[in-house]
Amino acid sequence: MADKTELAIELKNISKSFGSVKANKNINLTLRKGEILALLGENGSGKTTLMNMLSGIYTPDSGSVFIDGQQVTISSPEDSVRLGIGMVHQHFKLVERFSAADNILIGAKNKGHFLLGKNRYKEIEDIADRFGFKIDAAKIVANMAVSEKQTLEILKVLYYGAKVIILDEPTAVLTVQEIKKLFDVLRKMKEEGHSIIIITHKLNEVMEISDRVAVLRKGEYIDTVETAKTNEKQLTELMVGRKIDLNIDHPRIEKTKPLLEIRNLSVNGDEGNLAVDKLSFYIRGGEVLGVAGIAGSGQKELCEAIAGLRKIKDGMIIHGGVNIAGLPPQKITEHGIAMSFIPEDRLGMGLAPSLSITDNVILKKYRKGKGPLVDRKTGRAEAQAIIKELDIVTPSTEIAVRKLSGGNVQKVLLGREIQSAPNVLITAYPVRGLDINSSYAIYDIINQQKLKGVGVMFVGEDLDVMMALCDKIMVICHGRLMGVVGTDKITKEEIGLMMTGVLNTVNAKEGKTAGIARDSALTAEEWEEGLEYAAERAYAEEDDASGERGRKAMTVARGRSTGSKRKEGADS
Amino acid sequence: MKGFHLVRRTNVKLWQRILFYVIGILVSLVIGAILLSTLDIDPIKYYRQMMTIGLIENKYPEKAIEGLLKIFVPLLIVSLALSLSYRMKFWNVGGEGEFIVGAIIAAVIAFKCSSLPGPLVILLMSLAAFIASGLIGLAVAFLKVKFNTNETLVTLMINYIALYVITYIADTKKSWNFFLDKESARPKFAKFPDPAKMPGIKIGNVNLLYSVIIALALGVIIYFYLKSTKQGYEISVVGDSTDTARYAGMNVGRIVMRTVFLSAALVGMAGAFSASTAATISTSITNNVGWTGVIVAWLSKLSTPGIAVVSLLISVLQYGCQAASVSYGSVDHNFADLLQGVILFSVLVADFALNFRIVRRKEADNV
Amino acid sequence: MSDLELITLFVFNIVVYSIPLLYGTCGEIITEKSGSLNLGVEGTMAVGAIIGYIAGCRSNSFLVAILVSFLAASLVGALFAFFTVTLQANQNVTGLTITTLGVALYFFIGKGLSGMGKWPVLSSSDKMVKGFKNIEIPGLSSIKFVGKAFFTHNILVYAGVVMAIVLWIYIEKTSMGLKLRAIGENPAAADSLGVNVNLYKYIHIMLGSGIMGIGGLYMGLNMSGSFEGSNCWINGYGWIAIALVIFANWSTLRAIGGTFVFGFFNTLIYYNGPLANQFPHALGWLTKIPSQFYSALPFIITLIVLILSSVRKNSSSGEPAAKGINYYREDR
Repeated sequence: MADKTELAIELKNISKSFGSVKANKNINLTLRKGEILALLGENGSGKTTLMNMLSGIYTPDSGSVFIDGQQVTISSPEDSVRLGIGMVHQHFKLVERFSAADNILIGAKNKGHFLLGKNRYKEIEDIADRFGFKIDAAKIVANMAVSEKQTLEILKVLYYGAKVIILDEPTAVLTVQEIKKLFDVLRKMKEEGHSIIIITHKLNEVMEISDRVAVLRKGEYIDTVETAKTNEKQLTELMVGRKIDLNIDHPRIEKTKPLLEIRNLSVNGDEGNLAVDKLSFYIRGGEVLGVAGIAGSGQKELCEAIAGLRKIKDGMIIHGGVNIAGLPPQKITEHGIAMSFIPEDRLGMGLAPSLSITDNVILKKYRKGKGPLVDRKTGRAEAQAIIKELDIVTPSTEIAVRKLSGGNVQKVLLGREIQSAPNVLITAYPVRGLDINSSYAIYDIINQQKLKGVGVMFVGEDLDVMMALCDKIMVICHGRLMGVVGTDKITKEEIGLMMTGVLNTVNAKEGKTAGIARDSALTAEEWEEGLEYAAERAYAEEDDASGERGRKAMTVARGRSTGSKRKEGADS
Repeated sequence: MKGFHLVRRTNVKLWQRILFYVIGILVSLVIGAILLSTLDIDPIKYYRQMMTIGLIENKYPEKAIEGLLKIFVPLLIVSLALSLSYRMKFWNVGGEGEFIVGAIIAAVIAFKCSSLPGPLVILLMSLAAFIASGLIGLAVAFLKVKFNTNETLVTLMINYIALYVITYIADTKKSWNFFLDKESARPKFAKFPDPAKMPGIKIGNVNLLYSVIIALALGVIIYFYLKSTKQGYEISVVGDSTDTARYAGMNVGRIVMRTVFLSAALVGMAGAFSASTAATISTSITNNVGWTGVIVAWLSKLSTPGIAVVSLLISVLQYGCQAASVSYGSVDHNFADLLQGVILFSVLVADFALNFRIVRRKEADNV
Repeated sequence: MSDLELITLFVFNIVVYSIPLLYGTCGEIITEKSGSLNLGVEGTMAVGAIIGYIAGCRSNSFLVAILVSFLAASLVGALFAFFTVTLQANQNVTGLTITTLGVALYFFIGKGLSGMGKWPVLSSSDKMVKGFKNIEIPGLSSIKFVGKAFFTHNILVYAGVVMAIVLWIYIEKTSMGLKLRAIGENPAAADSLGVNVNLYKYIHIMLGSGIMGIGGLYMGLNMSGSFEGSNCWINGYGWIAIALVIFANWSTLRAIGGTFVFGFFNTLIYYNGPLANQFPHALGWLTKIPSQFYSALPFIITLIVLILSSVRKNSSSGEPAAKGINYYREDR
């Protein structure tokens, strides 16, 4: 153990909950002076929450913080700045309409800055120069590229004399060259005596930049290791945990032909970045396809795109021989595709939290039935059936979903999706935040669906569960396919390596590209034609603001794939 | 507040809620009492006279009931209507303007179609007002959906534009201006022809206007509309989470436009009722109902039965102040506005006390 | 009188009638710059007006009148801040309630005092009368026509223009103004740099409200402090001020010009009817348009500005991006 005086920061027994969700459980962490510490962990492991407590955005429920050996209380960002902690948040905290200099000067403490003179640009540029940055201080943030904004954020932190610098996923938005530059900057800062925490999940970067690695898993502190004495394999193990044999049933039945085929799918994220990148895969009836990947690898965008909630940039989604890419969500539901996504706050997508269970159960079919009235009688009966079938603990069907406990909320959501008797069930993070028993109940539900011949796509966080539950696992990294593997033919470590982009098995098998079905509903020519049209459509939409040409091309693409279905029917 | 922070409280019990609100209202009344005593008015006597709205010690108590209902009907309808918009977080504060437009259009029908039979004229007046004001709401909603134009400010501007339109009509003595009394030398609004007057039925001594019955029926209809119809269901989902609404395949923009149309249209209809009841229009026809409606809708947490109760209470407050001003010349209806404001603020404080509690931060033992 | 003299008088009146708007508008601009949309301008001005006026008359001091109207109105502002910043209540509802409450309080006080025969008469307070008297600015006031139109006004006119300029410098050119604007644009950004967001909001909401209060006092004095039971001194100026904020594109400097334009319409209202024959003949056609049109014009223009700017989504707009949205740090 290092000498106490060498520690820039020491966290002891820090805990933080949001409602019933424990984001951090008794975490201990140390940061040595002048080191780069990588904070490693999967999605939802509590890294950002922990760091936000250092930056004063959250207040811990319990635990203590020591800076330079002194116990401190950080109850606001002001405290944090004063204590020499600076954080570069993943979502930049910049005023878009201000110049770079003004963004920095927001926090200025009035010494010699009562008036904002023209000389402030020069002054800021000089300071930037001293830290080794070249910036245009008069440039408006709205006109900046992402990397410029990040430089500005780092400069902001340095300007206020931060000794400890925290960077939350700084490389997520950068190109390879920019990452290299960033790392040079970090090394330089380290040489100058700064202590740095970098939140990341990219193992190669951890190995390259850090001195030590602290690992969190599911809100708990796991271990801290010296980077020089470890390797990617060990880190992956720490991050995902050792394989635990879970007693999850894994029934097997005859698989059908592919129900849902996705080819070359590209989808943009909220920031306009490419979130899903030319992804191809398929789901058969009677199988559970796991989707593994690190936080924000495009899982959410993929689910939303399939469900029709997000615009598709390029590619095709074939269901029942028809291209459903670009259809409205209602039409996709009618196709028998059900999607349930549990976001990090566990409410929101797909649920109206203030409405009753009944009202949430009827969400997708309230239009059914003649007349202007909502058929709540059937809805209530269905809600009752779901409550009974899934053992939902609730005083009645009429209670607001918000008031249920997490597990029960998730059962309501999943129950509704199952109730619509889908042939493809997409479920993302269905056990997020649940205890063991509730989780097992959810696994049972998924297995039952599989036995009914439904094709299930399971987007998960816990690799042990996925290894036990799924028939195949598709691994994505930055929206790109890293391979599709049978769970009986792969180790957890291999999946971990694929998740972090170290291992790619797409073309590992000779004569078979992962994600492309041999018995596809369409012929190779039809795929090619359809994709050509889809690409043309995407191109046209970028090209032509009115989208007129684009829409036309889409119709053609859709018409064609419909046509091919008919042809196939005639053949068989 | 170092070491302390706020934590959201869940599961507030109904009795706690009621208790907090009652305390809030009591505090408001005490504040009102202090203000009254500064004017050397005995608050207890004043409050008694106010709460009994002049029913006792009055030769014609039925007039008190009728007067109360004249305030209650527009307030109920407007609050219900505004609550429809607020349920979708659409800040329609254009109650005043929509009300005036409804009243003007109703007056046009009243003067121009007086040859038709009575009920038909009133039906036409209401319908025309409904559509005219509704279209204003629709236009504002369209701008919001399409361009994200700030609906609060747009509806605010419309209020004043409508106010000056009616002022113009009121002040302009010209041959085309059929709104004004031809006999009077000074510009003065003419009385509506008889068929355009709101009829009623006699119950005892009270002339119960049909508008009261319609307003109450409207309350019931809106209650069921929100609770049982597909459109009402859409409103609740969109109001709770637009993401979820989109996920369910709802066209959020269309639902917003439809609902705001309805919201503004009902306010316009209330304007037509008021015009028909008074058998004339005036520049002060709204009686601030567009503003009071916002307060009522908010006080009742947008619940339909709540609106019925709160608008009745506020009507009692307002009419009671009018009635009490007979004995207390220096205190008029503005005292009701004053109390209203204080009550709303007290209830906001009560809500905060109900929903949050202050928690002391735990420090872990130093090891 | 010659046309030129009439025009001079007309312009003089524009200034007289427009300055209260400048106070209201500047007060609202500084409030909105902190990210708060306060619809309570009318009520805030009413409270500042009546309390400041009474205090001034009672103490026979113009300075007391100004200070008290500022203080009373900023307390109303504190109420708005307490509900929207501390209790996170809806800004629209809080603002509207402030207006209802403020105007009601105005009438309650006015009627109460009148009823008891205690309403202070302006003429009985010589210092108040003197304080509000027109002052000729040496040199400038002797410029032909311009001097009469612009440089023979009461002290609050000059103070108002100076205030608008000072506020502009404060908001746009000082470090505190920078923090304020940052809060109005992105409170999380300001917060993360250790700016005390809530404190700033409180200070500027109260400062803005206080300025509105002085505008209210001006209006009362302009009506010679006579209380009428049916009409409030503010008479809708608070709402015009809110409209003017949009017209002035959230700049107190542009508010000076905007105030003059809106004041021009307002003045035309008075020239319709009894004053019509005193109107310069060359512009006589202006009085043919109904006065109500001029009353409505500020709102019509603002409506058009609102719609056009949202359709165009122009990026040079000074509208604070976080206006109307309450800030709570732990919101994710």
